[in-house]
Amino acid sequence: MKPLMLQGHERAITQIKYNREGDLLFSSSKDNKPNVWYSLNGERLGSFNGHQGAVWCIDVDWTTTRFLSGAGDNTCKIWDCETGKEIGNIVTNSSVRTCMFSYSANMAVYTTDKAMKQPCEMFIIDVRNVDESISHQDPILRIPINGPRVSSILWDNLDESIITGHENGEIITWDLKTGKKMNSVKEHDSLINDMQWNKDATMFITASKDHTAKLFDAESLALLKTYKTERPVNSAAISPIAEHVVVGGGQDAMDVTTTSARVGKFDSRFFHMVFEEEFGRVKGHFGPINSVAFHPDGKSYSSGGEDGYVRVHNFDSSYFEYNLDY
Amino acid sequence: MAKKKLEDKNSQNGDNTKNEDDSSSNDEEPNFSDPEGFVDDITEEELIGDILKTKPKETDGVESVIVVDGVPVVGPNRIEKLKSVINKIFVKFGSIVNEFYPVDEQGSTKGYIFIEYSSPVHAAEAVKLTSNFKLDKQHTFQVNLFTDFSKYESIPDKWEPPEPQPYQDQNDLHYYLLEPDAYDQFAVVTVQAQFVQIWQNTQPDPTMVEERSSWTQTYVKWSPLGTYLSTFHKLGIALWAGPNFDQYKKFAHAHVQFIDYSPCEKYLVTYSPQGDPYNPDQKKIIIWDIRTGQEKRSFNPEGPSAWPIFRWSHDDKYFARIGNDVLSIYETPSFGLLDKKSIKINGIRDFNWSPTDNVVAYWVAEDKDVPASVTLLEIPNRNETRKKNLFNVADCKIHWQKSGDYLCVKVDRYSKVRKEKNEIKYSGMYCNFEIFHMREKQIPVDSVESKEPIQCFAWEPVGSKFGIIHGESPSINVSFYEVRQGQAPILLKKFDKRACNRLHWSPNGQYIVLAGVGTNGGGSLEFVDTHEFLVMNTTDHFQMSDVEWDPTGRYVVTGVSYWKTKVDTGYWIWSFQGKILKRINLEKFAQLLWRPRPSTLLSEEKQREIKKNLKKYYAQFESKDRMRQSKASKELIEKRAALMDKFNDIRQKRIKQYVENKARRLALRNNVDTDELDADTENVEEEIVEFFIKEEVTIVE
Repeated sequence: MKPLMLQGHERAITQIKYNREGDLLFSSSKDNKPNVWYSLNGERLGSFNGHQGAVWCIDVDWTTTRFLSGAGDNTCKIWDCETGKEIGNIVTNSSVRTCMFSYSANMAVYTTDKAMKQPCEMFIIDVRNVDESISHQDPILRIPINGPRVSSILWDNLDESIITGHENGEIITWDLKTGKKMNSVKEHDSLINDMQWNKDATMFITASKDHTAKLFDAESLALLKTYKTERPVNSAAISPIAEHVVVGGGQDAMDVTTTSARVGKFDSRFFHMVFEEEFGRVKGHFGPINSVAFHPDGKSYSSGGEDGYVRVHNFDSSYFEYNLDY
Repeated sequence: MAKKKLEDKNSQNGDNTKNEDDSSSNDEEPNFSDPEGFVDDITEEELIGDILKTKPKETDGVESVIVVDGVPVVGPNRIEKLKSVINKIFVKFGSIVNEFYPVDEQGSTKGYIFIEYSSPVHAAEAVKLTSNFKLDKQHTFQVNLFTDFSKYESIPDKWEPPEPQPYQDQNDLHYYLLEPDAYDQFAVVTVQAQFVQIWQNTQPDPTMVEERSSWTQTYVKWSPLGTYLSTFHKLGIALWAGPNFDQYKKFAHAHVQFIDYSPCEKYLVTYSPQGDPYNPDQKKIIIWDIRTGQEKRSFNPEGPSAWPIFRWSHDDKYFARIGNDVLSIYETPSFGLLDKKSIKINGIRDFNWSPTDNVVAYWVAEDKDVPASVTLLEIPNRNETRKKNLFNVADCKIHWQKSGDYLCVKVDRYSKVRKEKNEIKYSGMYCNFEIFHMREKQIPVDSVESKEPIQCFAWEPVGSKFGIIHGESPSINVSFYEVRQGQAPILLKKFDKRACNRLHWSPNGQYIVLAGVGTNGGGSLEFVDTHEFLVMNTTDHFQMSDVEWDPTGRYVVTGVSYWKTKVDTGYWIWSFQGKILKRINLEKFAQLLWRPRPSTLLSEEKQREIKKNLKKYYAQFESKDRMRQSKASKELIEKRAALMDKFNDIRQKRIKQYVENKARRLALRNNVDTDELDADTENVEEEIVEFFIKEEVTIVE
């Protein structure tokens, strides 16, 4: 399978996301301009121009009408997907690290970094009617996060709770009716870089700097599985059709002391979700992988790396034939 | 308690007298006198034990007196002469305040004298250093402290035989050799908490035999036959043996850093280069008897030297070290010099024992008109069996083949030499291999020349081949030669442009691993069958720092040690053909050592017979392997099935909830079903996308 190379970013990719149907692939990068691509042929559809800093997080609503992005320029912006126009701009006190639409896309959440003497905070906003006025509207809920900052976020599929992953490896469930903590676990030793749902949003996979990816039950936060690697894991995703997970990561660019790519281990690695056994690797990036995502049909996946490329891989038939016996 | 009270009382009594002097401060005076009928039942020992200790003894004042026996008997006319000789020897240890030469009626000395020093320290020093001092051929001093007399006095006249010690079973030290499948053991050390693990290389997965934290403070070492595991501690060396790795012996030698076993495991040499600051008397090198744990002899070598300083003959009978223009050979079990003197060899630079015979090969450097030479010396009769002169020699390396059949001396030679500020600079270097055929009459010597620099040399442990890595980066080549009777070595095969810097022969010969070890090596691995020079596999283990064959030649382990690099430490196990069997990534992995095996007890014929009938056994092993494999895969399948069942159990509940919540999800998304990709059939739009297939440029004129 020769991958499609999406060249359009000038700096490291920070996050990639498919829309619900999977025909479009959104990508954000440290170069300030999120892009959107046709996932089928890799053609670039357009860019979202307006941010003044590295874009850390993106999301697209389920109808693919609005696009959300948070950046290091202390803004969180909402865009019209079709035209690429900015329709809402929220100025924050520090960088926006995570953002996500709710299941219904009536609400959205974003979190800010603990930086410049500002605390880490989580904001839940109403995004039913977005216009310029959103910048001075009060959020529905504003939750100060005391302690380690939020580094990744997930919204459940009933608009009732939010799960946050933290800098110290902690995972917390928040009840949105009360704005209080419902549950928390600490199974990771270090920063949680990414969290992604399985197809029915009953389990999620975390990717941590502690070299592991872990599978959790969404309701109880019970640890189900652990996928071990030798390098920090930056992103992990669950296949919607098979019991497979893909994890991507690699040695931090600043920690690479030798020039050889072999030391970095910049491969996408496939694990069996239940057996925790690695069964495949995909090489290609020449820097750490920062974000991976499965196509909603499960027949392809993409990875975005520190090298600035997004690679769209269509699986060969042998991938679908391969089975671990049990 | 009573004692304390009384002591208090006593001291108060003492105070009492003082108080009488300034009674103005004390209005009332308690009565301290003993009540009537008081019996003093406390001994003086208890009361003033500390003071009693300092009570003068008979021997007091004579502590600094030494008695010297073995002094020549001289007449009165020569007594002054004797005194001056004796004085010269003993004044070195401190000022002599008194001396006494007992004389008989004729006025001649009695052969013993008394010397008093100003301090007991000097006396002790004198005893230590002049005992067994050889004045001349007939006279050897026996020196004792005068105070020793009381020690020897107290020896009872009647000798009582010592109590027999109860027998302590030391378990079967060689139990690991009884393993029916000949699985070998290996030891793994990690830097983290100094974990030491002992594994058995069972198939398909190794099993752990033992794991202990802080078992050693630095590293571990197996004894040459594999009986003992030695661990390093601040206070010395501990040996562990038997099925439970019980402590077998301890050897106290503070700050020990290096050890060496004699080949038959009879003796252990420990070396503490820094010594012990709290015990400056401790010798730097101690040789121990392993079975009794006794110190046999100790040495204080001057200056730094390459470890092992002492080299053992194959049968533990002799050990030798090199000195300034001498080769000192010691005998066991007496631990004295062989024939009581070192062998004088001018310009000796290096030597090595044959691994199978009591023959020493040494080489001497050039000296003006005398050429350099390599000599074979038989021990103990000191017969020179062969001597070969060499010219233009810069350096020599002595390589014995493991079976002792051949000796190769790698001679680095030069075409020009310059002297620059006391430094000798050689140019136009080339290299000769001098091959000694040990098993032939007169020991003929063949030589091979190489113009290229040599990176590595290695004998096939069994057989007659050797391999060399030669050339300069980037064109590094590997050549294999065979040594034949009465012929110069023949080049068998040359591999051009290989990225390797080390040769690792299988302990049984024939197979070899060409390895690129260390930061420059890149971790390349090439498994070669030297029978037909077939490259069985070419692969790599990035940043690998060690390559270790198991003692049977079936497996190879490559390791990345934490001592060399900090990332991706661990060890990989390969088959001898270069097939990867296991990758074990172990954080802070430092060292892996296979447990050695003693050489086989089977006779040559028996071994040949087994080799001939290998086909017969082959089927047996094959079926055993297959069974093991199928058992393993069956176990794996069962394990997976169990995991799957458990996982599905957990999932069922969640899926049920998910289905129940469908209505609520629909409500949130305007009654559009998005649970499946194709669930919402009404809102499907067809879109046409173009694929970029190829680009053609046509130039229109």
